[in-house]
Amino acid sequence: MSRSARVAGGSIRFEGKEIAGAPPSVMQEILWRRMAFVPQSAMNALDPVYRVGKQIEEVLVHRGNYRREDVPKRIAELFEMVGLNPKRQNDYPHQFSGGMRQRVGIALALALNPALMIADEPVTALDVIVQRQVLDTLKDLQRRLNLSVIIVTHDISVVAYVCDRVVVMYAGEVVESGKVKDVLEQPVHPYTMGLTNAFPDLGRAAGTLVPIAGSPPDLRDPPPGCRFAPRCPFAEPRCAQTSPPLVTDEKGHAAACLRANEAPMLREQARDPARWAA
Amino acid sequence: MKSVLSRFAQMLFVLWVVATILFLMFRLMPGDPTAAYIDTTFTEEQQQQLRAAFGLDQPLWKQYFIFIANAAQGEFGESFHHRKPVIDLLMEVLPNTLVLTLSSIIVAYIFGVLVGSWLAWNRGTRAEAIVVPTVLTLRAAPEFWLGMVLLATFGFGLGWFPSGGANSAGAAYGSEWSRIFSSDFLHHLFLPALTLALYLQGLPLLLMRSNMLDVMQEDFVMMARMKGLPEWVIVLKHAARNALLPVMTAFAIGIGQSIGANVVVETVFSWPGLGRLLVASVAASDYPVAQGAFLLIAAVLVLMNFIADLLYSVLDPRVSHGARR
Amino acid sequence: MAHVAEASAPEDAAAEPRVGALGRIMRALRLPRGDFFATTGLIIYAVFLITALLADVIRPHDPLEILFSDDGQLLANAPPSLTYPLGTTNLGRDIFSQLVVGTRAALIVGVTAAIVVAAIGTLIGLISGFFGGWIDNGLMRLADVALGIPFLPFTIVLSSFIGASTWTIVMAIALLLWPNTARVIRSQVLTVRERAFVEAARVSGSSPWRILFVHVAPNILPLTFLYGSIAIGWAILTEASISFLGFGPSDVVSWGYMLQDAYGSQALSRGSFNWFVPPGVCIVLVVVAGFFVSRGYEELLFPKLKD
Repeated sequence: MSRSARVAGGSIRFEGKEIAGAPPSVMQEILWRRMAFVPQSAMNALDPVYRVGKQIEEVLVHRGNYRREDVPKRIAELFEMVGLNPKRQNDYPHQFSGGMRQRVGIALALALNPALMIADEPVTALDVIVQRQVLDTLKDLQRRLNLSVIIVTHDISVVAYVCDRVVVMYAGEVVESGKVKDVLEQPVHPYTMGLTNAFPDLGRAAGTLVPIAGSPPDLRDPPPGCRFAPRCPFAEPRCAQTSPPLVTDEKGHAAACLRANEAPMLREQARDPARWAA
Repeated sequence: MKSVLSRFAQMLFVLWVVATILFLMFRLMPGDPTAAYIDTTFTEEQQQQLRAAFGLDQPLWKQYFIFIANAAQGEFGESFHHRKPVIDLLMEVLPNTLVLTLSSIIVAYIFGVLVGSWLAWNRGTRAEAIVVPTVLTLRAAPEFWLGMVLLATFGFGLGWFPSGGANSAGAAYGSEWSRIFSSDFLHHLFLPALTLALYLQGLPLLLMRSNMLDVMQEDFVMMARMKGLPEWVIVLKHAARNALLPVMTAFAIGIGQSIGANVVVETVFSWPGLGRLLVASVAASDYPVAQGAFLLIAAVLVLMNFIADLLYSVLDPRVSHGARR
Repeated sequence: MAHVAEASAPEDAAAEPRVGALGRIMRALRLPRGDFFATTGLIIYAVFLITALLADVIRPHDPLEILFSDDGQLLANAPPSLTYPLGTTNLGRDIFSQLVVGTRAALIVGVTAAIVVAAIGTLIGLISGFFGGWIDNGLMRLADVALGIPFLPFTIVLSSFIGASTWTIVMAIALLLWPNTARVIRSQVLTVRERAFVEAARVSGSSPWRILFVHVAPNILPLTFLYGSIAIGWAILTEASISFLGFGPSDVVSWGYMLQDAYGSQALSRGSFNWFVPPGVCIVLVVVAGFFVSRGYEELLFPKLKD
């Protein structure tokens, strides 16, 4: 969305239509009306000099063809939906706490009844208790409004808590995807295994978090073959030469790893922290 | 409310310190300190009268209190040369200075804001490569020299404008307002106001340009784009509204600074204003007038700094509406 | 901030071991090398500096000498010619010689004032930001006062009371123009103060003054140079204004003095553009050079503007 960024290749399909490289007139129809966005930090995404109600009104009037007199009712409705006191629409963004501000962001995204809501790290900046509240709201809304939600996050516990399906990406490529239960409980790609190790788990003793050694590659000059190979404890010589294809099994669980068929054994080995040492 | 009061108190404090510095300056000058008030051509009786009126026969600390008390009431004594109260002289020229300053600064800021936004929009184009260095050059030119070149070209050379003053000799007007709105006055005003405007437009232009460029990078502008809002709403209501904040402050401060800095332009165009009065009175050792003019210029400057402060808090809700958490 | 400069310096040296004199000067001044504006600015400074140093060699005549033609006529208002490149004044003085000699006054005022303003502003900003508390409060109130005094009128009154001289002008600039520098440096110090390396120095028991000058000060040096380069222009403009108003030193030929002389001698109504345009152009060039150099520091300090 940044003006300097562009879609270099591939395809983005939305409601049956190709929208990668679609002309502005097509995008104009889709943006916010069918597809809305919740930013990582609503603090920066809300204009500091306008009351939040005003900013929702702007969308309703300019994009939703609402009549001015219907606006207050709709805003009150949206505020109640996300668990905010409708009176607070007369406050400025800086007067809200972090969690409340994310709720404003969600209300704003829901303004025109979109079919899809994309949330970029929607709770990362919040403390854990507030995270839970906001995520509960999201879950509830998703069910009630028959809404599709894409959450972009680094936090596996968020995925585990709210998502149905997950796509794991590494260095700009999809490495694994499938139902959350399948992917998190029986990961096939070593990166996903590493990720599940690197996050706290109620079932595991504290203090056994295992980081993945190394750092992501320079995307201007990605390594040949599998992009994860340089950091992968299970990498074989062929991994550095051949790019693994994304292979989907009968359950819809896909992974891009040359050793996918050895997954059960690798999972066993991946539990050993020594494996992940640099 | 409390912060407004404390800012106001701070403003009075600054004003008081400035007045004190002025008092000390005029007392520290070589020679008889009473010369600031008393012309040697006064008769002994007149001198005694004035000494008593200003408490100049009192010790220094008492004189200081009398000075401050008088200054607070706008009482600066009597001019040596014009033989009339300083305050009357100041009030005679103040409208000229205000009209010159305000007209030029308003034109400069409207122009600067518009062109600055336009440049931000046309980042990296040929227009930018031409306009920005031109603006920098205009800002680097001494105002009075700019005035001299304009005066020599359009005043003396082409004869389009009068060579100086605020009104043609012999013109009479019913009231101050009819004088200021007479075509004769405006004709005299044009060149000095243009000179000042040319000098002043650089700051708002460059400020607006860089603010716009900064604001355009903000998340909320990107969000406005994602919302699919019309381009004019994004530019005017979000980008420009935010970018204008610091420009408004600069505008208020600029008025205050301009009143004092106008000295040179007023001199070039023989504009009968406060600055020219100050220069003339200092040159002629007409100290009561110099003191009065200086203090009035300082008062406007301090007042405008105070207003700039207030303006910012009014226009920026982050300051005017404290956090409620 | 300074990290940008320090980090890039060794790399530049490795890539291009032979650095010219200009490059070395730019590195000493912590300017980004190869920056068009900064380079242009420095070249303009260099030209004027050389002119000022060699003024007595370059000027064809004594700037105040009254010239006569061969047949004994006063050479008043002579048009530009080979012997008098910019013509003569109404009293028969060579304008070009005045212009050349005026370079000195401009540079002396500009450089001294810039050094004094940058030094005072930096010191006050450092102390204010680093120690905070009542020291900070007092110094910032002092800054409010300095900003509440109208600059040009103050300089005029000061010049008329303690005598018109270059030093009076430098003093007025020093007394009133430090707050802008001090405020910016203060806020920079507030952020640098919180950085890890300052904390480390504090924990390891370094004295506050040592931390201030060894750890904090180097990080705000580019800001000092930035405000110093702006102050050069301010000082030259002020000197010119004061001289033009007739409160300048009477024994020094400066560009402001030339403009006052021209204005007072009806050069405007005579259309003697050759008299009053060149000094103005020189002022513009020197001040613009300051802006250009300061732009170089801004690129360094705020690299995001570059993209």
